[in-house]
Amino acid sequence: MTAMVECRSLCKSFGVRPLLDRVNVRLASGEICGLIGSAATGKSLLLKLLCGLQASDGGEIFIAGRRLDASSKEELQQSRKHIGMLFQNNALFDFMTVRDNVAFPLVRSGATSAEEIRERVHQTLRAVGLSGSEEKLPAELSGGMKKRVALARALVARPALLLFDEPTAGLDPVTTARIYELLGAEQARTRATMLLVSSDVDGLRRFVPRLLMLHAGRLRYDGPSDKIDSSEDEVVRQFVRGADEGPL
Amino acid sequence: MTPISLLHRAAPSLELLRHLLWRSGRGAFRLRATDFPRGEVWRQMHQIGNRSLLFVCVTLSFLGMVLVFQTCLQVNRITGDLSQVGAEFIKILVHEFGPSLCAMMLATRVGAGIAAELGSMVVTDQIDALAMNNVDPIDYLIVPRFVASMVMTGALTTVGVGCAVFAGALTAAYSFHVNPVVFVDPSHVRIGDLVTGFFKCAAYGAAIPLVSGFCGLSAQGGSAGVGRSTTRAVIASSFMVIVLDFVISGVAYFTLQSAP
Repeated sequence: MTAMVECRSLCKSFGVRPLLDRVNVRLASGEICGLIGSAATGKSLLLKLLCGLQASDGGEIFIAGRRLDASSKEELQQSRKHIGMLFQNNALFDFMTVRDNVAFPLVRSGATSAEEIRERVHQTLRAVGLSGSEEKLPAELSGGMKKRVALARALVARPALLLFDEPTAGLDPVTTARIYELLGAEQARTRATMLLVSSDVDGLRRFVPRLLMLHAGRLRYDGPSDKIDSSEDEVVRQFVRGADEGPL
Repeated sequence: MTPISLLHRAAPSLELLRHLLWRSGRGAFRLRATDFPRGEVWRQMHQIGNRSLLFVCVTLSFLGMVLVFQTCLQVNRITGDLSQVGAEFIKILVHEFGPSLCAMMLATRVGAGIAAELGSMVVTDQIDALAMNNVDPIDYLIVPRFVASMVMTGALTTVGVGCAVFAGALTAAYSFHVNPVVFVDPSHVRIGDLVTGFFKCAAYGAAIPLVSGFCGLSAQGGSAGVGRSTTRAVIASSFMVIVLDFVISGVAYFTLQSAP
């Protein structure tokens, strides 16, 4: 199967501290994968590298076979048209209504008519359970609603690669389950490749068939999510079980 | 820290500054080809101009009163002839105090606003979200503020000078019995004064959003970082106004001979 995402020996440091040290990741087209790890291990950074928001110090990044890290501004813009991103703190535009926030990727792509934009925004907001909130500003929404608006904005343009940074953080279990259900339905419909970063290890394991774990700049686990409990790496086992005693 | 490592650390800031100057300058001249929301320049003109109007008018009126009162007091002690105070006051307002004091006020109100808004957009990833949609944040956010600020600094200075003259005339009339018709005498204002005042307005109007935008876009580290960038924006904008005042006044003195 062709790779949608491929990182080879990816490195990134801040000062003398390496956050990513020769990381190799390959995601097949249409695959759903979860990324876990302790705080400040470079999970969000990896997502930002994958969409060219941060420059790597070394290694190669390929998105749909196209080299991203060495591409020109125009090539980068072209690649980003196929990537949807949900940011950790939602990154909703404060000065826009919910409708304008969700419509933004479609408006910017310039490839859709005003009528179609209206229809797609309406459909997507209904899918995330936010019909009737179109005219509200982000400041008027609860944390969970903001998350769902950000999710709608990531999904609305139906990109081939979806990167989610903590899609369920701060949400109650019912909303979390609905979000995963929605992502599953979206993936079944569009066959998009999804990479999800989450601290909710249990919820993520139920949703994704494959898990990656980052620790101290290295990829410590890359395999089926149901086998992670029996990983040979003690660090991985301790993290997944949430045990107090161990190398972490 | 070695000069090389210092340069290495400063490289992203220098790149941002270069990008900011180039794209803002180009955007101002190619407004229709620049990528920002329709009507954004008007909205920013309202934010920068209309919403600062009362602040600028009140401040310049009080400063006008203080300046005229102190000048009349001193002149009264020395010569007792107050007939030229108004004419000289208007001249110095047009080429010096009007644009500079107005810009200092705008540096605090508008500069802080721009830096805080952009800084919070940086720390909440909104700038990255713009980039994900192939939007250049400088075109989208800075250029409308840059153009609006240049236009509205001139407009606010004109109104502010009017307020200062009016307040000064009232002070001179009530405190020193100077006839307002004698006080409001623009005959000392030469074309060089107007040109100098115009250039100062344009330079200050350009500098405030650029400096504040730079501070806002280089914010780091959550709300504390936004606070730091806002403080930095106010200080740097005010400092830039003073430096530009000195440079433009100097150039004007040697080229237009407008200084008294």
